[in-house]
Amino acid sequence: MSGILTVVDAHKRFGGIHAVRGVSLALNSGELLGLFGPNGAGKTTLFNMIAGLYPPTSGRIELASRDVTREPAFRRARAGIGRTFQVCRPFRGLTVAENVLAAIPPGSGVGDDRARAREILDAVGLLPKAEDAAGSLTLGMLKRLEVARALALEPKLLLLDEPLAGLTASETSDLLGFIQGLKARASIILVDHNVRQSLGVCDRAIVMDAGAVIASGSPDTIRRDPGVRRAYLGESAA
Amino acid sequence: MKVERGRDLAKITWGSLAILACTAAMAALPWLGVTSYVRTLVYYGAYFLALGQAWNLMSGLTGYVSFAHGALAGIGAYAVVLALNADLPMVISLLIAAIAAGLASLIIGVTSLRLKGTSFTFATLFLQELVLLLVRKLPFAGGPGGIVLEEIFPLWLPHVLMIAVAGGATLLVLVFRRSRTGLRVLAMRDDEAAASAIGIDATRVKIVLFCASAAIAGLTGAVHGVFASSLFPNEVFSIDLSIIALAVPLIGGAGTALGPVLGAVIYVGLREILQVLAPNLHLTIVGVVLLLVILFMRDGIAPALGRLFRLKDRRGQVPAIAEVRA
Ligand SMILES: Nc1ncnc2c1ncn2[C@@H]1O[C@H](COP(=O)(O)OP(=O)(O)O)[C@@H](O)[C@H]1O
Ligand SMILES: [Mg+2]
Repeated sequence: MSGILTVVDAHKRFGGIHAVRGVSLALNSGELLGLFGPNGAGKTTLFNMIAGLYPPTSGRIELASRDVTREPAFRRARAGIGRTFQVCRPFRGLTVAENVLAAIPPGSGVGDDRARAREILDAVGLLPKAEDAAGSLTLGMLKRLEVARALALEPKLLLLDEPLAGLTASETSDLLGFIQGLKARASIILVDHNVRQSLGVCDRAIVMDAGAVIASGSPDTIRRDPGVRRAYLGESAA
Repeated sequence: MKVERGRDLAKITWGSLAILACTAAMAALPWLGVTSYVRTLVYYGAYFLALGQAWNLMSGLTGYVSFAHGALAGIGAYAVVLALNADLPMVISLLIAAIAAGLASLIIGVTSLRLKGTSFTFATLFLQELVLLLVRKLPFAGGPGGIVLEEIFPLWLPHVLMIAVAGGATLLVLVFRRSRTGLRVLAMRDDEAAASAIGIDATRVKIVLFCASAAIAGLTGAVHGVFASSLFPNEVFSIDLSIIALAVPLIGGAGTALGPVLGAVIYVGLREILQVLAPNLHLTIVGVVLLLVILFMRDGIAPALGRLFRLKDRRGQVPAIAEVRA
């Protein structure tokens, strides 16, 4: 197993807010890492630093042993980081198919990019909506469009920021199954504020609180962690 | 998707043919015995269309509003007159004009396009003022008295050139908008952060587009310099032309190829009427028209018409719910 992503002692301050306090993690290729924590724990901020939306205040980010700490987001996307946004950000003026097509690197393949866009849409179950305006989709569909658009990059690392939030039970289990199937193609970090619903599909997990990692390890380790049990699994401090 | 691509291809093909046919017909006017009034009207239509499409290529497609396109055209006009007066051939002189405007755009592009749209808009306003100041002070630019083209060219020459620039710019917007790069530009206009997350180098795209757009504006201004033959800085670099450059596509539909064509026709018509009725109010009234369009059609006439026809299309194909039930 080789390391695909390494985060070393990353900090992020927004003025007085210390949103991420010294997070370190390493992700192996083909791994699905769960990233849990309550609202405001710093999960999205960590994603934004990994994806390059803004640089960390201090610390280092490496993609496949290459230091990308100071590289802009577009270059990291080209280097193989695909991400979704917690608050969906579709290109509203484009159709669903065009949203995905726009993300396929131009002049990359010999194949037909439009056919490729359709394949991806089919995989996430959005093919019937291909020609609809992206702005007209329901939340559940928008979440899947986010995933489809990230997949169009053929990423080595996929950052999924609460893709399950706001979905119905059946949508959740469908998408969770789909995400599990993506492990063959990419290493994944899956953010969820609900430990219970997705810990089962993870190879490993990290739990954050108030900007810091409070637990990490195998799903079993996480389940047994007293701090996590107190905070998430509804058990009293015993 | 094959259908979708077919539809796209059909739009580009038919659109291009229509543009080429119109361009050829309008360019032939000097030899078709039309009155000089009609010919002049068509010339000005093409002038405002070319300028509007130049603005459209940058501001219409990216949403970064430029107030410098009048000044960029002015740079082209000055450059071509200076070059022709230095006995350079026409083609070279036009090329120099386009390059001069392109270079001027890089100054603001490189400094302000990393930032938000408002910084860019202010930078373009600054360029407008800076250029006027420079031209009035620079000795070789003739000072406040302006400069005059020494050689007199036949009238058909700027006419044909302007029609060609307008037709070419319209064709460019039509094809570029539907290209893959065009799609990525439209994505960027919707959401720059999301666009960078799919690998789009937004700053570079904006700088390149602004430079291309400025070169077209410079070329437009250059052809008009040949047409006008005497240039006065206060006229050439007045903000009015920059306002027209953005009013034309905004009225017709910014970000579309057809929009500026409609906008140019409407603007030239308005201008003709108002030059007689209220010459001092003409830009004010253009502003009012623009406001009305924004109020009632949001994104201009062409997109509004598009929605209207698509609605009719659907009604023709898909039975209404009442009919299905019956
Ligand atoms: N751009 C920002 N500016 C200021 N504060 C921010 C910004 N982004 C996040 N924060 C703050 O950082 C903390 C962590 O937020 P976030 O990373 O969104 O948490 P999570 O995704 O785990 O819910 C919160 O207190 C939030 O208010
Ligand atoms: Mg979050």
